[in-house]
Amino acid sequence: MDAIERRALLKGAGLGALAFTVGGAQVLLTPAQAFADNVPLRTLKPDEAKTLEAMGETLVPGAREAGIVQFVDQQLSIPAEEALLEARILNVRPPYANFYRAAIGAINGASTARAGKPFAELDAATQHAFVDQMRQNKIEGWKGPGGGFVYFILRSDAVDVVYGTMAGYKALDIPYMAHIEPTRSW
Amino acid sequence: MATHEKVDVVIVGAGASGSTYAAVLAKAGKKVVLLESGPDWQQSDLISSDFWGRRLKPAGSPFLLEGKNPYGYVYQAGWGVGGAALHYFANFPRLMPSDFKVKSEHGRGLDWPIDYKDVAPYYDKVADDVGVSGDAKAEEIWRPPGKPYPMPPMKTFKNGQVWLKGFEAVGIRMRPAAVGMNSTEYKGRKACIYDGWCHVGCPIGALANPLVTYLGDARKAGAEVRARATVTRVLTNAAGDKVTGVEYYDDKKEKQTQEASVVVLAAWAAQNPRLMLNSANDKHPNGLANRSGLLGKYMMAHFASGTFAMFDEDIENHMGTIGGQYFSYDRYDKLTHKDKGAFGSTFIVAGAAQKTSDLGGIPNARPDLFGPALADFMKRAKRGLTRITMFGEELPNIENRIEVASDKDEFGMPLGRFTHTFDEAAVALWNANFDEGLKVAKATDAKESWSGRGNMPTIHMFGGTIMGTGAGNSVVDSYGQTHEIGNLYVAGPGIFPTEGAPNPTYTIFALSLRGAEHLAANWSAVAG
Repeated sequence: MDAIERRALLKGAGLGALAFTVGGAQVLLTPAQAFADNVPLRTLKPDEAKTLEAMGETLVPGAREAGIVQFVDQQLSIPAEEALLEARILNVRPPYANFYRAAIGAINGASTARAGKPFAELDAATQHAFVDQMRQNKIEGWKGPGGGFVYFILRSDAVDVVYGTMAGYKALDIPYMAHIEPTRSW
Repeated sequence: MATHEKVDVVIVGAGASGSTYAAVLAKAGKKVVLLESGPDWQQSDLISSDFWGRRLKPAGSPFLLEGKNPYGYVYQAGWGVGGAALHYFANFPRLMPSDFKVKSEHGRGLDWPIDYKDVAPYYDKVADDVGVSGDAKAEEIWRPPGKPYPMPPMKTFKNGQVWLKGFEAVGIRMRPAAVGMNSTEYKGRKACIYDGWCHVGCPIGALANPLVTYLGDARKAGAEVRARATVTRVLTNAAGDKVTGVEYYDDKKEKQTQEASVVVLAAWAAQNPRLMLNSANDKHPNGLANRSGLLGKYMMAHFASGTFAMFDEDIENHMGTIGGQYFSYDRYDKLTHKDKGAFGSTFIVAGAAQKTSDLGGIPNARPDLFGPALADFMKRAKRGLTRITMFGEELPNIENRIEVASDKDEFGMPLGRFTHTFDEAAVALWNANFDEGLKVAKATDAKESWSGRGNMPTIHMFGGTIMGTGAGNSVVDSYGQTHEIGNLYVAGPGIFPTEGAPNPTYTIFALSLRGAEHLAANWSAVAG
């Protein structure tokens, strides 16, 4: 991360937005805005993003449009000490991209072994059943970080973008009552 | 490598204990330097958001976490000035007299080399220094005599009040919780506004974090804080009978030496022994001040049994503080659940503000739910969910320990290995507390209630540099002074030989104040 981007991020912390790259320039957006603007990804490969998006939406309805992929992707591109991911506080060892790649690989490996196609291509009912097995560590031949732990981390990411933002509080009709308010509803 | 001019005291860690030492010693005219591995946070950095609050914790654990109940390091830890007390819940219960004599009274665990009465005056001093709200008179059913709190109790809300009927039904008396928060303006700091963002840092100064209390006092008295300074070794003289300072890496990751007459290690219970083990030399081949072989041993954690209840009506669960509105010592007797194979005290807290994300957020009241079921649950829980928490005591076990591993961090310092397993008595107490919590919940008017079971959690951290009567049974004395090296001190929860059941930071402040005042009063003998 160069100095300009670091400053942008720190400023973003005050504003409550994150630094995304659009057309070579740093802009401050919420993940939902980054999703709506189809901001290019920095770290995740297209198939990884597709899996994360499908998993996020299965875990918490609304996670796709709330920008779960854009949130995680941006977070994986910055120094670990600046990361806001739940993985940080659950003792995942940086760089966090290693965990996400291993988790996504485990999901698609198990999905392909069970159903002959990656998770994102399963129908909604099959995705739901897969996740229910994954959270209980009941998927045979699972290769990667524990299924229950993967469930917990990715569910937390989806919860963060859907329910943890000022917009999420507003949607639930819960007063946010910030001392220092993230001004961009993030 | 640069060597800095010798100072009177170098303190490793700018959290609760380090800040207290710094304030006392700087006010006593000593030249004090605090070395803190994380950033120099300001109050204005404390954004009201669960995920922005994660910046206050380390990125990745410096420990390999092992055992049947691996310690949940990062969630509990601090990173930066203020330490874990920048994001703590600020419940301020005291230890009880029985906590100091577990071995004598029960033939298990350990004794402290001091009694409750030795610490009690410092509880009162800390309350005056940092501000505590509570009702000491109401607590007299449990608490030994002491000064009243300087502020009246905090406001209560429906999400706490709805539990009182249930507690009364099972014979548990709840009292207004003593908290390190302002129910009124205190020493120029604002009163709490009950928005429940305590755990991500209180930027208005209503919560007694070190920035607005002891660390602020220390800075005013001239103490210097060097942020992003990571200490890797404590240095000694050739004879090994005095420490001479510390080695650290600065914010540019360049190696530095800070010489000092006295070194105080205040980097939390796991980091202190890691640092002392990594400072081994020919005079201290097993780590500094480790003739007892107990350095890094007797690590302890609390565990919690959480019970949830769902009400139909709006119980204002977004209001309040993140700690609790009421507390109780009515299950503090260590033999309360002996018929179930349990041993240890239980400390009960009721009524915490609910947030929508993070580990303690509403979704994790039902971690099994996802998809449309979770969305439905959120709609019901957003105004109707509340919880109580029963904290349990783990006895010291020598197998729960810190060691150094072969893997190294970016500064070449070996990672720690933290091995932790709860014993059968602790597991039995955890289970018994779930049973009792559910009885309480079912005696309320809640529509639904359930136990928040999952992996047995590790909460708070103690031990590793325990206090005792001599080098044969401990690492430090009751002031935190190591038995073997007179000018090396250890501060914080690492010096607790048993943990009791309450939140520890009030006691950490009290013991640190006691140790620091003793050091200042005996300066010539220690530093000379």
